[in-house]
Amino acid sequence: MNLIRAELERLAARRFVQLMVVLLLAAFAVAAATTVADSHRPSAAELEQAQTRAAEQLAQLEATHERCLRVKAGQLPLDENDYIPADCAEIDPAQMEQLPVATDFLDGVFVFAKDARPLLYTVLAFLMLFGFLVGASYIGADLNSGGVVNLLLWRPRREAVLGAKLAALSGALLVFSALTSAAYLAAFWLIGQAAGQPGRLDGEFWAGLGGSYGRGLVAVLFAGAIGFAVATLGRHTSAALGTVAAYLVVWELGARLVFDVLGSGRPDRVMLSSYLTAWLSGEVRLWDGYACADGSGFCDGFYTVGWPLGLAVLLALTGGLVGAAFVLFRRRDLI
Amino acid sequence: MTAVIEIEGLRKSFHSLRRGRRVAVDGFDLRVEAGQVHGFLGPNGSGKTTTLRALLGLVRSDSGRMRVLGIDSPHRLPEVAGRVGAIVESPQFFGNFTAHRTLRLLAVAGGVPTGRVDEVLEQVGLRDRGHERVRGYSLGMKQRLAVASALLKGPELLILDEPANGLDPAGIREMRDLTRSLAAAGVTVLISSHILGEIQLICDHVTIISRGRRVAAGPVDEVLAGFDRHEWRIGIADPDRAVAVLGAAGVTATAHDGHLVAHGVADPELISRTLGEQGLWVRELTPLRPDLESVFLELTGSAPDPAAPRQVDDAMLPPAQREPVIDLDVRQDGEVSA
Repeated sequence: MNLIRAELERLAARRFVQLMVVLLLAAFAVAAATTVADSHRPSAAELEQAQTRAAEQLAQLEATHERCLRVKAGQLPLDENDYIPADCAEIDPAQMEQLPVATDFLDGVFVFAKDARPLLYTVLAFLMLFGFLVGASYIGADLNSGGVVNLLLWRPRREAVLGAKLAALSGALLVFSALTSAAYLAAFWLIGQAAGQPGRLDGEFWAGLGGSYGRGLVAVLFAGAIGFAVATLGRHTSAALGTVAAYLVVWELGARLVFDVLGSGRPDRVMLSSYLTAWLSGEVRLWDGYACADGSGFCDGFYTVGWPLGLAVLLALTGGLVGAAFVLFRRRDLI
Repeated sequence: MTAVIEIEGLRKSFHSLRRGRRVAVDGFDLRVEAGQVHGFLGPNGSGKTTTLRALLGLVRSDSGRMRVLGIDSPHRLPEVAGRVGAIVESPQFFGNFTAHRTLRLLAVAGGVPTGRVDEVLEQVGLRDRGHERVRGYSLGMKQRLAVASALLKGPELLILDEPANGLDPAGIREMRDLTRSLAAAGVTVLISSHILGEIQLICDHVTIISRGRRVAAGPVDEVLAGFDRHEWRIGIADPDRAVAVLGAAGVTATAHDGHLVAHGVADPELISRTLGEQGLWVRELTPLRPDLESVFLELTGSAPDPAAPRQVDDAMLPPAQREPVIDLDVRQDGEVSA
């Protein structure tokens, strides 16, 4: 416990960490300030107009669905401008995930319910980058500066020392990310209340947002652990940065192009980004370019990757890297 | 005497794709007994730091047996780590932390009362600079901080690798006094250093390593005595005649810069009596005893040669080559044998 306490203090005292926290908070402040500047509280007339447009949109959807049913029933002739799907249920407003609401038609108004999810993903992306960089630099700098050797002269248990560092990093990242992202969302909720519209904040909304929030925090922990592990394996912060840059350029970009040239149907299946997206958003729909190649009849060329598979892939990757880092660190000559 | 450090047959080699296998330590033995101030000498690259790192579990040895305070190292080193203070080869500290914070974090991690921090900063002369960032420290100040970190535990065994690195003459003297006071307080000290004069002043025992192997070990006086050629410097008015007179008495003497050097004379009375009987009056008769530096250079073969500057790798042992080693083995009774 003493070791973890010392490591937490060491982590908090690092200039890089402090700088990253300041940059993160500054980015949040800028995002909030520009949102406040670009938003206004809608007048009664604007609200009324938006409600009218939403009602019109809804009526139009219902009319289209009704016309589809009547065309299928042979009660109306088919017009060339009509969109008549094979199953009219596809355009049934009652089965749509989201119906038009007044806030969809408010211009220059920040609506929390509509923008909360993208805002959360933005902050999570920031925090994942933050976690990765802090994780990599925390152990990388310590390995380079001789801090680890100094510590091992005091506590000559390599697994315990590395474990304490990882535990301190993960704990600090979790608390910091949870508080920061909650404060970030709370700030935008307040902006919605004071300078925009809160939108429809029902139980379903909060449940969905809460799920994304929890999964996002886990992703931040993964990012921190991966940065820590790769820097440990490479003995240097830059090893982690180089590995990620190489992965993005060589695999996510280069290999994707190669797969495309070779005519591979589902290159996204071997891309880490697919599984990360699946984990963060619950599921991801990906396009199989060759699923409908024969062109016969209706074909849904999409396939879905769900969060369980996303979690499994991320867990395997993180666990593998962290495990390798521990094994190597245990056997390595520290010179 | 109780051995606090025992190393037997330590071997360690490093492998790299570019340079292949390089043997750093090759069957090295070391024994440090309780209460000793033990000097550990060797040229650059001879295996000193690798030995200390292996002893402290920082590098994995290929073979050999090591014990620290009676406990097998490195496997059971954690059991005695709290009683061993060590610095290994110019330790680096995190530049943005102050010395005080650096030591406090170590104290917290090691379960040592943080009140010790001010004590050791005072002890190494950093009391007034302890709240400055380490980044601004000179090499000597960093070295003092390193020693402070080793002292923080109040150790029974102190292992100092080049503690005088970067210290000015006053700092070296302070380090010498500190070492002596620690030894007087019962702390066993193992010092690796290149400053042979310092080692001779501070240490009572010495081990010399060359090319990864022990080439001499024992009490400093006895190691030096093993290299005493019983030479005497003689100041005399007529050196040429003195050489002839001594030669007639069976004493070999050579002239050097207006002085004579007599070789192989155990008793100086022979010189003064022989010359006096012939009316040659000696105005100086000084024993030319070997110092640690000359012994070290002779044992390690590292005396400078202007025609062939010695390369660092010369101190390393080539993989398949074994050279005859002058191994002075110190037995339990203190007898030195070649």
